[in-house]
Parts: sequence; structure tokens; C-alpha cells
Amino acid sequence: MTTIRPWLATAARLLLGGVLVVAGALKMPDPAAAVRAVRAYRLLPESLVGPVAFGLPVLEIAVGLALLAGVFVRTAALTTAVLMVVFVLAVGSAWARGLQIDCGCFGGGGQVAAGRTAYPGEVARDVGLLLVALALARWPASRLALGGHSEEEFADVR
Amino acid sequence: MSGESKRQAARQRIAAERAAEAAARAAAERRRRAVIGGVVAAVVLVVALVVVVVLQTRRTSTSADAAAPANTTDNGYVFAVGSADAPVTLDLYEDFQCPNCKALEDSTGSTIDDLVAAGTVQVHYHGMAFLDTDENDDYSTRALNAAAVVAATAGTDAYETFHDLLFANQPDEGGSGLPDDQLIDYAAQAGASGTTVEDGIRQLTYGDWVSASTDAASKDGVTGTPTLFVDGEELDDLSPDGLTAAVSAAQG
Repeated sequence: MTTIRPWLATAARLLLGGVLVVAGALKMPDPAAAVRAVRAYRLLPESLVGPVAFGLPVLEIAVGLALLAGVFVRTAALTTAVLMVVFVLAVGSAWARGLQIDCGCFGGGGQVAAGRTAYPGEVARDVGLLLVALALARWPASRLALGGHSEEEFADVR
Repeated sequence: MSGESKRQAARQRIAAERAAEAAARAAAERRRRAVIGGVVAAVVLVVALVVVVVLQTRRTSTSADAAAPANTTDNGYVFAVGSADAPVTLDLYEDFQCPNCKALEDSTGSTIDDLVAAGTVQVHYHGMAFLDTDENDDYSTRALNAAAVVAATAGTDAYETFHDLLFANQPDEGGSGLPDDQLIDYAAQAGASGTTVEDGIRQLTYGDWVSASTDAASKDGVTGTPTLFVDGEELDDLSPDGLTAAVSAAQG
């Protein structure tokens, strides 16, 4: 366990970081589609739709890069966990209200045909990523990380 | 205890104290760097957020005064077909590249035409264009722009004819879209021809309006196509029977 746990943390960093960077990057090229995807949830007032649609991808990419590089790992992992909770609540509320939308998690988004929604899969994926993020926040010490580690962080793996 | 061993113990004590001080200094230095790094990262993130939000807002800001085509109503986003005195209003949101819209037109289009002809409904056509790709050379936008050119030149009945032609001859999604020459040809068939029409189609005269129209539909709560409202109520069953029943109910 003492040698494998840092490598598991590295795997968690690469998984979460990769997913976040890809998800953020795919939302950047078509900002109008991003706005429609956010608006489709019918949760936000119109004045907040734009800032969320444009700001969220930046946050995802920033947190993802931090995880990939291995800097501010605990902060990034906690931010990821918060993002996943928000995503699960948003998708869950769309599901509960009977909206027929794609989550727009990886760009696109908006309405889909009846019976083409994928809410269970979307929620399950985000819950899985949430658990990984929480585990990484608990044991952030990992290999192949740029950021240094304090003695305390490594104390429990030495 | 001899003087020698006392001195040795003192040296050891001093060495231990110095080591502890060095470790404390190193820890403080690490904390200082972590705080500086965190502050720098936070500032960079905030700047990036502001820059991107401003840039993307500018990219998507559809000038609200984007020149609307003539013969439109409702702030310039509606092509109304049928009698204004008709008791029931249908609001139909479509994208010319959307296969489900073609399916709707194929199954229920003639029912809509019959209801219009009978004076029972007035149809409000709303255009959306969100299926642009590099492969289809932004066909959604080109098609809706062309339809706006037709309506502006020859009226909303010509719009409907052109609309029906485009759905009857809809190119495959993922294909290359209809070329501008073909759109010009269909426009002529619908009753709109001449250099103004050709230039309007080739030069995307209403390109900004197309973006604004798509945005307006999104703000109407429409998140996909086709979406059909019968007197403001969204219709789920888009079959001829479903539409006929809903229109009858709306008539009271």
C-alpha cells in the first residue's frame, strides 16, 4: 500500500484532469451553443446564463491543468468535487422536471428527442468522478507531480 | 562528568537546536511559497475568466438591431402564414438541416397546410440555425438566410413554398448541404428571383439576423427542433392526429 497509493493518486489526477480539460475545451469553440446548453436547464436567470456558459469551461480547464501538472492538488480535487455535485444537482433537476435535454457536459447540449435522454448514465458518471475527486482530496500525495509535497502529506505513505 | 563530555553534550544540544531552527525556516519558506503560488494562480484564473467571458460575450452578441427581413412580425423573427383572423396560432420552430423537422414536415406538413387553407390556424414559422458544420458549409445558416431573402422579396406565401421545397429536398445531415446555386434555383421556383435575391443568398445578407433569430428562439424556451406550440402550449404528439386534436381543443 505504501508504494501503490501515490500511483493511484497519480491515476486519479490524470483521469480527472483529462476529463475536465477535454470537457472544458469542447465548450470553447461554439459559445452560442454553450449559452443554449446552459439556458436549456432553465435554472438560471438570463443575465447569468452567459457568464456561466463562458466561465465554466475556463474553470474546468484551469482545474484540469492543475491536476494534470500536480500543483494545488488538494484544492483542485476539492473544486472538482464541488463541480461534480453541482453537475449532479443540475442534471438531476432537469431529469426530475421531465426536461428532455442533453447535459452538454462535453459541448453540444440542448434538447434531444423523447427517449434519447441519458440522465442515469450522466449522473452515474458524475457521481463516480465525485468519489474519485474526494479520494484524491483525502490522499493528494502522488508521483509525477510538479508541485512539492509537504512532509505531512507524505507522512502517511512513508 | 568530565569537562570534555559536558562540552560534547552542549555541542550536541546546540546542533539539535540549529537543525530544528533550519527545519522551521524551511517549513516557513515552503508555506510562504505556497501562499504566493496560490495567490498568483488565483489572480491568473480570475484574469483568464474575465478575459474569456468578455471575448465570448462579444463573439455571441447578436446585435439586437440585426437587420430583420421585410414581411416578418413579432420583432422580426416570425414569418406568419395564413389568415390573421384564424382562431388558433401555431408556433413552429425548425432548422432546415434537422432530420426530425423533415420527418414532421413529411408526416404532418400537409395537415398544417389544410388547417391554414381552412382558415383555422395561422402558422408562425420561427427559424433556428444550430446545425452548421464545416462539411455542410454552414448550411443551416445559409438556408435560413435564403428563406429570409425569399420572404423579404416575395412575401410569406413564397417563404412557405421555399420552406416546403427545402424540407422536401433536405440534404443528409453530415453531408455537404445544398450549394448556393441550388438555393437560388429553389428561390426562383418559390417566386423570388433577380440579382437582389442572388446577392442576398450568396452574401448572407441576413447572417446576423439568423444568429439573433436562433438566440431569440432559445430565449423563448425552445431548446431543440422541431418544437410546435398550439396557442402557446407545447405539443408532444406531432402526428397529424395529435395536431388535429390539439387544434380542436384550442378552438374550444
